[in-house]
Amino acid sequence: MTFELETGGTTRHIEQRGAQLFLDGRQVDVDAVKAGPAWSILVGHRSYELFLAERGPGELIAHVNGRAVTVRGGPQRFGSRRARTGGTAREAAAHGPGRVAAPMPGRIARVLVRVGDRVTAQQGLVVVEAMKMENELRSPRAGIVTEIRATEGALVEANAVLIVLE
Amino acid sequence: MHKILVANRGEIAVRVLRACRDLGLASVAVYSACDRTARHVRLADEACAIGPNAPSESYLNIDRLLDAARRTGADAVHPGYGFLAENAQFAAACRDAGLTFIGPTPEAIALMGSKTEARRAAIAANIPVVPGTEQPFAPGDPDDAIAAAAGRIGYPLLIKAVAGGGGKGMRTVTKAADLPGAIRAARSEAGTAFGDSAIYLERRLTRPRHIEVQLLGDQHGRVLPFVERECSIQRRHQKVIEETPSPVVTPAFRAYLLEAAAAVARAVGYTGAGTIEFLVDEEHRCWFLEMNTRLQVEHPITEMVTGIDLVEWQLRIARGEKLDLDPVLANTPDGHAIECRIYAEDPDTGFIPSPGRISVLRAAAGPWIREDGGAESGGEVPVYYDPLISKLCAWGPDRPHAIARMSRALREYEVLGVQTTVPFFRWMLAQPAFLAAAFHTGYLDELLQQRGGEPFATADKDEEEAAAIGAALHVMSGRGPSVADPGRSAPPERQRTLPVGKVGWKARARAEALRP
Repeated sequence: MTFELETGGTTRHIEQRGAQLFLDGRQVDVDAVKAGPAWSILVGHRSYELFLAERGPGELIAHVNGRAVTVRGGPQRFGSRRARTGGTAREAAAHGPGRVAAPMPGRIARVLVRVGDRVTAQQGLVVVEAMKMENELRSPRAGIVTEIRATEGALVEANAVLIVLE
Repeated sequence: MHKILVANRGEIAVRVLRACRDLGLASVAVYSACDRTARHVRLADEACAIGPNAPSESYLNIDRLLDAARRTGADAVHPGYGFLAENAQFAAACRDAGLTFIGPTPEAIALMGSKTEARRAAIAANIPVVPGTEQPFAPGDPDDAIAAAAGRIGYPLLIKAVAGGGGKGMRTVTKAADLPGAIRAARSEAGTAFGDSAIYLERRLTRPRHIEVQLLGDQHGRVLPFVERECSIQRRHQKVIEETPSPVVTPAFRAYLLEAAAAVARAVGYTGAGTIEFLVDEEHRCWFLEMNTRLQVEHPITEMVTGIDLVEWQLRIARGEKLDLDPVLANTPDGHAIECRIYAEDPDTGFIPSPGRISVLRAAAGPWIREDGGAESGGEVPVYYDPLISKLCAWGPDRPHAIARMSRALREYEVLGVQTTVPFFRWMLAQPAFLAAAFHTGYLDELLQQRGGEPFATADKDEEEAAAIGAALHVMSGRGPSVADPGRSAPPERQRTLPVGKVGWKARARAEALRP
């Protein structure tokens, strides 16, 4: 069984041949056991604790020794059987066209961009007032604003798409 | 006082309910619709529904809370922090209903709750206040009058809400041209948050530290100040990390600060737990900032270095006991304690709240770690309330030890399902300026600005490979079928060995055993 998985911008080739596991063509000594909600993975003698959560179609989030790693792809798409609810603007925009959605119900306090604006990653797009605080929704990536569905003063539901990026 | 109604939710409700149990007092939790299964409901002896999710219809609804007390026969009310904790009307309504309000008198809350009145009280007690306007500006006051006052104070300055707190309704203004816009923004935010859009002006000090003094006052006129807390690590005026003692406070300066705080509290006849906040500049000059007439979020670190249970004392003071503690216990820190406020917020997208279902929560524990939490695996972080998940505290004999233990605890802290600020804290605790305690209230905002949108946690190559291997095994294990290694001694019921071909993983595999 063969897997092409992308983590940290690098595609890794994982192949299982009989009792052996190969990572990018090199054999690795792996012992993996599910331990409650976690996986205990020994690579050689090095110990990793791994928590896995499905994040979207073909995407897993792995917490490895407390650090988050996004894993994408594979011959079998993982995580497609359950639709995500909630989530952050970053996640909502991670797939498909760049859609920035309200992470929570709230009121649109300000719209900071106009259609046609070229925005950079992390640039503020919309300010949503929720939990009595003003939260700035930022662009998940660079792009051009093609659509604005947010109106200042309007109430929005969680996951409502507010900005579409090209 | 036999049965305490806890008029709050989340971690602070849990904290107060535990104190009730410690003292052998019966307890009543209250809950809104979405909190029916919350941890505080299950921890209490009794629980009472108080309405829908919107805070105004539940945790902020005085009539419903009083009704819950009547229905359950509670004779006292603990407000926690936030919600109605600093609402004089609520304290008065409790008193009128014959309930003991566990906190200061409505008069003291009203006096210190008005930031401008509180400044006058401090001046009367001979404590310097940050230069600013002594009279608030009412909603209708013209901008020119405010601009004239601003000119006298000088720029940069802060616009603050008279009813304020928690950084809400606060704006920094660096030049006169920005004043009208900032006034509008501050008024609008203050009006929404506090129902009062009155504002005042205060000079913005250069690189001040936020240092505060916890105190307790009993009903017999005694006020006891505690060793100071340093709360200068703030993001947009909200505390993020607190520690005690302050790394910059000398014993002589401590004596001055504690006496100044006690003087203000005595001047207003303060009872219960409260905190006086000061701004301190690089020359150790200090100014009264404001008083919080409630238990603070960060009270656990004070408990850790003094051994005094502040919530227990709130209850004991409320039932009329004398504060017979040795002042030396309260004002002399034993070691160092630090707190990280873990929020369901995504630090990588500008700390936007990340409500939702928590699939896995494994809180940190172990030597000299204290965790005050209200969330758990399978629970929800509702969108309606403050998204604080947990307060993680660490103690050490000195600051470096406390930081090392906190770093260890943060590494163990696992939350899946919602984003949290844990990765931010792991990064923060390694910052050289933090380790050197060379910071001020604007430090974190400046630091975040400088680093742009860089992610807070970056895994190394080995960890990325382990993630890829784990993900592959996760898929191969298929969540249902599993392959167990007969060579390993697993309990028989877990050896649900399946046909090898099903997942293509050889049963005789030595090291690659997969179990559910």
